[in-house]
Amino acid sequence: MTLLLLTLLVPLITAAAGAVGGPRQIKEALLISGLVITFALCLATAGAFLAGGPIEQFDAALRVDGLSALMLVLNGFAGLLSGIYGVGYLRRNEAGGRVTPRMRREFHALVPAYLFALLLVCVSNNLGILWIAVELTTLASVFLVAFHNAETSLEAAWKFLMLGSLGLGFALLGTVLLFAAAQGRLGEGMAALNWTSFMAAAPGMHPFTLRLGVVFALIGYGTKAGLAPMHTWKPDAYREAPSSAGALMAVGMLNGAVYCLLRIHLISSAAVGPEFSSGLLLALGLLSVLVAVPFILIQWNLKRLLAYSSIEHVGIMAIGFGIGGEAGTFGALLHMTYHTFAKPIAFFSAGTLAQLHSSSNFETMGAGTIGRAPVSSVLLLLATVIITGSPPFGIFFSEMIILRAGFSSPHVLATAVLLAALVVLFCGFAYQVGRLVLGPPPGDGVKFTPETLDLCLVTAIVAAIIAVTVGFYMPNPLLDLIRAATLVTGGHS
Amino acid sequence: MFNNLLILSAAGMLVTGYLMVGQKALFTAIRLYGAQSWLLGVIAVAIALGDDRPHLFVTATLTVVLKGLLIPWFLMRVVDRIGIRREIEPFLNVPASLLICLGLTVVGYRVSTGFPEGAQGVTHHVIGVGLSMLLIGLFLMVTRKKAVTQILALLTVENAVFLIALGITSGMPLVVELGISFDVLLAVLVLGILVRRIVDRFESMDVSRLSQLKG
Repeated sequence: MTLLLLTLLVPLITAAAGAVGGPRQIKEALLISGLVITFALCLATAGAFLAGGPIEQFDAALRVDGLSALMLVLNGFAGLLSGIYGVGYLRRNEAGGRVTPRMRREFHALVPAYLFALLLVCVSNNLGILWIAVELTTLASVFLVAFHNAETSLEAAWKFLMLGSLGLGFALLGTVLLFAAAQGRLGEGMAALNWTSFMAAAPGMHPFTLRLGVVFALIGYGTKAGLAPMHTWKPDAYREAPSSAGALMAVGMLNGAVYCLLRIHLISSAAVGPEFSSGLLLALGLLSVLVAVPFILIQWNLKRLLAYSSIEHVGIMAIGFGIGGEAGTFGALLHMTYHTFAKPIAFFSAGTLAQLHSSSNFETMGAGTIGRAPVSSVLLLLATVIITGSPPFGIFFSEMIILRAGFSSPHVLATAVLLAALVVLFCGFAYQVGRLVLGPPPGDGVKFTPETLDLCLVTAIVAAIIAVTVGFYMPNPLLDLIRAATLVTGGHS
Repeated sequence: MFNNLLILSAAGMLVTGYLMVGQKALFTAIRLYGAQSWLLGVIAVAIALGDDRPHLFVTATLTVVLKGLLIPWFLMRVVDRIGIRREIEPFLNVPASLLICLGLTVVGYRVSTGFPEGAQGVTHHVIGVGLSMLLIGLFLMVTRKKAVTQILALLTVENAVFLIALGITSGMPLVVELGISFDVLLAVLVLGILVRRIVDRFESMDVSRLSQLKG
């Protein structure tokens, strides 16, 4: 079906168009219209899936099933929001004279290129192409992390690239080992590496080779997802990347990497039963949530705080998938959906606050931001309430579903630890943001630029309205997609 | 005959790994990586001839052109431009490093016995060498300070993965292999650009200086 190809081609063309110079207005219009069309095509592809079942292309090297369709919609949405915010971000920086034409070209080319790679991840059925797509996401995002070219951004970009490439080396080895575990029953040629072929050949796979492959692949893609202990690049990269790119990394990249983990988990479950990879996912997930606890409690930087929150949430998702069953899987996918809608508000408002104060360090920003930048501060508070999982917002419910599934599964102890960690994380995150936003302003005054209602702020407000709406009223097609994804993810087991 | 060539080349790759550990001059380390890639190409040819798998000739050509010539040439240009020729004292001295790598080789060989093909002679060696090189690459990565050496360590890991792939599955489907090779080339280019930017900023490519971000 050509719809799928168009969905991939449009962001690619937008990226190519973004790489050439030109007047600012035309470039901005091109970028935003490209992203809008991409999102519309993602929706159309998902709609075509809902109407007519899985869509395949090129010997099923690209394939849209329930899980892929959900990912397409989520990542397309994240790409659109980040792009619009990014345009506003550049305008703001331009006012400060800190944007060179080179930076503009880089930004306009890399954001759609990144989105293209993220969408390719979501629709790759071929594990080889999946790997290539994940590597492309890394390469597209490195220069977004290094965007400001400061010493700290280069350091963050270097760590990001080295750890990411090493993780991908592991993932490649994992893929090779999985391929070898099938002992030739996958045949040769392109279709041999298809996930669907793996699933068909799974029951007869060589257990030792398969287990080794699964471990390498989970560690490899886990690095990209930012699961502890491979999470160390995340705080640096999120702090240094412009907030729009940060949001795309925290949502799109996270979804994409979790998608890879899931595909590997499913192969492993079909081959040697769910216990093996579930145990690994539970362990990595729990470790991630626990690692986030001390760093959120003692955090000194707003954007790093968001990074640790993202490590926490990817951990919660991994735990949900690890607990498994229909409830655990559904909970984790629901969590991913709500997280996708909520996280951008946090990044956009935090980014605005950081830009107004020329720093994202708590100390430099000074407490009491609500008096200086009321709109962003209120949005940041709202984002905090949503992403820490307070009722009545969506993440509260998805966390409850995962916890309930956990307590009725054999993993009661792990679930109890998760519950305790969630309570501490809630308090820690709320304390940090509350202190920053509502605390007494420092006596000697703070240097800051006043808040203006520009494109960035409007994007953040729109993102907040969408997140709150989806939190209370989930559109039926979206719910259908989550259900379809739950089916793919073996909810019936 | 092909089997002997195969084992000889695999052993040669392991030797280049060890030499890299004991090497401080960056140019020599890059040439060692180039030699390692040529040996990988020879292994692909040997398997192609021995097992009659013509598509491995493409893999071999690709390996030699990209990893044996293009990437070393690019890295040498990077080193030449920035004018830093030697690795400073690594975190661990050379004799100790070599001893550890010996231990890693034993571990690699031990793990390789678990594979179904592991019992048979030739593939056992290839996988054993591959796993050992993987571990040596990781070791290089954590003990070296210069950006270029870290890139070489990463590339060694990548060569090791390809060697294991050759030994265990006689190669991946061609299109995928093309894509992967292209990605690796792109990654090296990006790394090179990043090194240049780091050197411009820090006037050094000592990555142990990249330590401002904590917590």
